[in-house]
Amino acid sequence: MIIKKIQIENFLCYYNEKSFHFEDGLNIILGENNEGKTKFFEAIEWLFNGTNTQLENLVSSKKFKEITFEESFKVSVSMVVENTNGEYKISRSFLVNKTKNNDIETRGLNFEGQETDLATGRRIPINGQELLNAIFPFQIREYSMFKGETELNIFENEEALPNLINLFSDAKPYQKYTDKSRFLRERAHQAVKESTEANQKNQRAYNILESEIFDLEREKERLNIFLSSTEDQKSKLEKNIKEAEKFVDNAEALSTINELIKKIEEKITYLNSKIDDNYTTSLFDEYWILQNFEPIHKEFVAKISEHSKRRRELQSQFDQQIGIRKGEEKAKAELINNIIPLPIGTPSKAHMEEMLHDEICKVCNREAKVGSEAYSYMMQRLTEYLETQKINDSELDTKETLFKFDYTNRLENLSISHEDNLKNIRLIETKIKDLFEFNDKKKKEIESLKEELEKQIKERERILGNSKIANEDKLLSIFKNYTSWQEDLKDLNKDFYDLEAKQKEILKKIESKKEDINKIDENSAVAHLLKTREILNDIENIFTDTKEKKFDEFITKLENKSNKYFGQINVEAFTGEIKFSKKRIGSDKVKIEISLYESGGRYFVPGTAVRTSLNISILLAISELANEENNETYPMIFDAPTSSFGETKTGNFLNLIYKTSNQKIILLKDFVATNKDNNTLFIKSEFNSINRKKAFWVKLERPFDDKDLSTMNTEVITL
Amino acid sequence: MAKKDELLKSFLTHDLLVSKYKIQKEELPNTLSDGLNSDKPIIKAIALIIESLEKSPPVTDKELRTSVLLFLNTAI
Repeated sequence: MIIKKIQIENFLCYYNEKSFHFEDGLNIILGENNEGKTKFFEAIEWLFNGTNTQLENLVSSKKFKEITFEESFKVSVSMVVENTNGEYKISRSFLVNKTKNNDIETRGLNFEGQETDLATGRRIPINGQELLNAIFPFQIREYSMFKGETELNIFENEEALPNLINLFSDAKPYQKYTDKSRFLRERAHQAVKESTEANQKNQRAYNILESEIFDLEREKERLNIFLSSTEDQKSKLEKNIKEAEKFVDNAEALSTINELIKKIEEKITYLNSKIDDNYTTSLFDEYWILQNFEPIHKEFVAKISEHSKRRRELQSQFDQQIGIRKGEEKAKAELINNIIPLPIGTPSKAHMEEMLHDEICKVCNREAKVGSEAYSYMMQRLTEYLETQKINDSELDTKETLFKFDYTNRLENLSISHEDNLKNIRLIETKIKDLFEFNDKKKKEIESLKEELEKQIKERERILGNSKIANEDKLLSIFKNYTSWQEDLKDLNKDFYDLEAKQKEILKKIESKKEDINKIDENSAVAHLLKTREILNDIENIFTDTKEKKFDEFITKLENKSNKYFGQINVEAFTGEIKFSKKRIGSDKVKIEISLYESGGRYFVPGTAVRTSLNISILLAISELANEENNETYPMIFDAPTSSFGETKTGNFLNLIYKTSNQKIILLKDFVATNKDNNTLFIKSEFNSINRKKAFWVKLERPFDDKDLSTMNTEVITL
Repeated sequence: MAKKDELLKSFLTHDLLVSKYKIQKEELPNTLSDGLNSDKPIIKAIALIIESLEKSPPVTDKELRTSVLLFLNTAI
């Protein structure tokens, strides 16, 4: 089957009718992002599946803006296909009205089919869904349309590949043979059973044995479920471990190097805390400037000393003059009062009060009772003394001083303080030298540690760069998980072997019970019924084995063809070898594991581009084999399948696809560039070297307002 | 080669026919028509099944059982 034409009308950015006329072989649709490629893909998806029930979301805003209230237009996607039987058209459409409130109203959703009679050219309407399923079966459609690179990875689903193989391989016609031979064998067994049960004694024994077999079969099924689930878990864990193994060496090295880096960083921090770079401020600024201060200080000290001496001399002379004057004043006063004052302070005021209290003159050691002359004398002398001690205000006001301020003392103190500091200043040179040496040593150590740190950081980057997983946390987490996964796998393996052993034991019991039944049959049933059952049992085995053989042959062919494509897509790059391995899960389920191996049989975890090449190779191989086996081809539609490829690799890929047999429609954003001078898009000349049957360029009509959908109209240009 | 003949041939390559039924390679039929005329019950039974299942429309389960079981029960 090939798609001859796709017509899109008023569907999203496809304003009015836009048609793509395709050829058998490779058809390429180029387009920048957001210019209509994916909308083309979505239009086909909608045509096939009609999944989007919000029809108003599918309407061309440009068309809707054009119409007035109560006007309507059609939104439709149609496809004309051709196969060996004729030409067919399927189309899905609906009508759009504009309401009074300017809202979108949709109606009349229709999915139509049409067959063209090639002889008469007459068009015969048929049910759209039935026609679609007949010309492009659902199971094939499922593996024919891929949106983006990630969707190519359909084989992650373990049922996908066995389904595909069953669908496309020549194992498919054998399925009904295995089913019908089982049916016939069961009927033959029933006939034998009925014949044996004619004997009542046999019937009882038969019933017991069958009931036991039934219980054992149930137990076997239960174990199968456990086995299957354990196998699944084992398989997932093995896959995780396999993937982790690629990184585990790096992860372990990373963990060690991180420890080392942490230690180095801690040591640098410690050494930095020990370095005292403060000499530039506390020593240089505050002290170093005083290095030449000593002679100044000596001069200063001498001057201060001289000054102090001179000051004291002057003060002494001054005091003497004042003393003489005071003495003269006092002597004059005493002469006036005719008394001789005691020397000041002798006896003191306290002594005189004591003598008065004791009524004894302790100067002449005589009694001086109250009222006596001696007592009165002492009292008079005390009063006179107290009089002399009173400060005369006029005397205060006129107190003479030589120096109003006393700076000399402060200067002397300063000199003494400088003398103390001189000791420290004399040590500055040594201290700075020592500190410089200490700091230099620590700095050198830090420098060396920093070099080591840089080396280790580079090594860490190298490890991360080598490891495909550039995310450090993820890599370390893999290392952490790796050990626990291995432990889990050990446990799962043990569980699996235990379950297998139990299953074997049950199978043995079932066989033994069946043999018992056979013995009863052999002794009781009609001989020809036994023989018929035996032959039908063998036929069932022959049919099942043949189907398996065909399945395995297809896998081998698929593996060979996949590797052929893989090598061609990845020309001049790493390919490795794709291996398909069949695993039986439980009694009737099979899964196919796809792995990539380096030469030497080492498991290899592919990156995105290699993974994409691998998936596309398998899809191409399946498609080629399906054509060989079924004599019918189906188109494949890929939206941006090679976004991880560079343009050259995409070119090689397209040239390879060109050589494959069935129709391919590939949507790409490669080969479209912008002219920087006038900001217009153009198709690169490299595209001329790409082999293709047909090529289109979808691009938005310029100008448009990137914030207004009603200005969007995708143009379809046939290249 | 017709699809029915290919199906028959693919079944008849099974080891069981030689190991258990002692049928030599040269005794194996090349076509379904030969298979239906075979004097080896297992070969004829296989041919009968192919003939029934490849009919258009295919036979019912009851018709299949009747033809195959009846043949085997009488032929052996």
